[in-house]
Amino acid sequence: MIVDPLPVAWRFEAIGTAWRIDTREPLAPDVADAVTARIDRFDRDWSRFRPDSLVSRIATTPGPGRWTLPDDAPALLGFYRELYTATRGRVSPLVGRTLEALGYDAAYRLRAADDIPPVPAWDDAIAWDGTTLETVRPVLVDVGAAGKGYLVDLVSDLLTEAGVAQHIVDASGDLRTRGVPMRIALEHPLDPRKAVGVAELPDGAFCASATNRRAWGDGLHHVLDAATGMPVRGVLATWVIAPTALVADGLATALFVDPEGESPSRHGAHFARLFDDGRLESSADFPGEVFL
Amino acid sequence: MTTPRARLLAVAGLGLTAALAGCAATNAGGTPGTGSEPGGGIDPGADTSAEYTDGTYTAEGSYVAPSGPESITVEITLADDIVTAVTVTPHATSGNQAQFQSQFANGIAAVVQGKDIDTLAVSRVGGSSLTSGGFNQALEAIKAEALAG
Repeated sequence: MIVDPLPVAWRFEAIGTAWRIDTREPLAPDVADAVTARIDRFDRDWSRFRPDSLVSRIATTPGPGRWTLPDDAPALLGFYRELYTATRGRVSPLVGRTLEALGYDAAYRLRAADDIPPVPAWDDAIAWDGTTLETVRPVLVDVGAAGKGYLVDLVSDLLTEAGVAQHIVDASGDLRTRGVPMRIALEHPLDPRKAVGVAELPDGAFCASATNRRAWGDGLHHVLDAATGMPVRGVLATWVIAPTALVADGLATALFVDPEGESPSRHGAHFARLFDDGRLESSADFPGEVFL
Repeated sequence: MTTPRARLLAVAGLGLTAALAGCAATNAGGTPGTGSEPGGGIDPGADTSAEYTDGTYTAEGSYVAPSGPESITVEITLADDIVTAVTVTPHATSGNQAQFQSQFANGIAAVVQGKDIDTLAVSRVGGSSLTSGGFNQALEAIKAEALAG
């Protein structure tokens, strides 16, 4: 049984998925407009699914490039760099072209090309000093591993600044709660009616990632191992509890490629993950329970 | 996902002498616990026509390790031809065999069954991101083409 902890839910679709923002009172129109505008700005900067976005322009402008990135870039690309280093290049923001070739492109072609390009190594392809991105040649940035979680944080920050102290921002799989304790069922990736555990968080962020929905063919789905350029195998789903949704989302992706599962503890995060042989693993002191 | 049948095969693969059909039913009339639904992980090509009587079955398995003969006890619970529980009891008491058997027993026990979300008191369900209408339409088109082809 699912019981909503707050009485008002605002539902909408944005950046290719379902959103809902739960509050005690309906949001004032200007606050709701600010939320919509913030999401749209992020989409115009970071979406590789729209041709007019910044990342699309970086990808299609010939020759070497120098690009001034928006003020939300340092936290996002900074954390990507951490994940890239921690996973020895297996989580990367440079998977865009490879994902496209596998069929996950702006037109949803959903067919793998014959020739799948490898993911370029970070230091061969780009230089990033915190403000300016330099590219050797056009490169398609894809922030799918952590971008949505980060946007959830940005929207939650906006609500807090607008005086909406208690709220839940849920972008379908990536969630941030402020002042509202949550019990979240860990959805079984092979049967959405079932849960493999329950996560409890008094405050903070929860992210779930699984290969079941954005999948389109034999072994083809949206979580890539940047080292091989192929969709990951072995892990079906991950769930992460962390202080921010940026960290939770990025770690949820990293846990698909990090066999040791070491990185979460460095960020004050807890996790559970389900392997394709049916094993369910959870970190020590996982808040909640897993059903073994 | 490991299917119930695959799990049985994995048990047999250890070298157990008793096959399921030959097991003595110790609780054939018993009431098994909640049965798990056959989920999306079932191999559609597998022969699932056989019917088994619900209940708990126990078998002793033996094998010859480099250190000598060893044995384990395997107990499985069947409900509607689905394995709902597996318990492996190691008998080795020392050395590598005890360690191997313990790992094997833990590995089996960790195979996740899941619980119906309807039975849990939660405030949200956390799974992968729901997809957009565009993605879903494209996926349906691909499937239709695959069926026609």
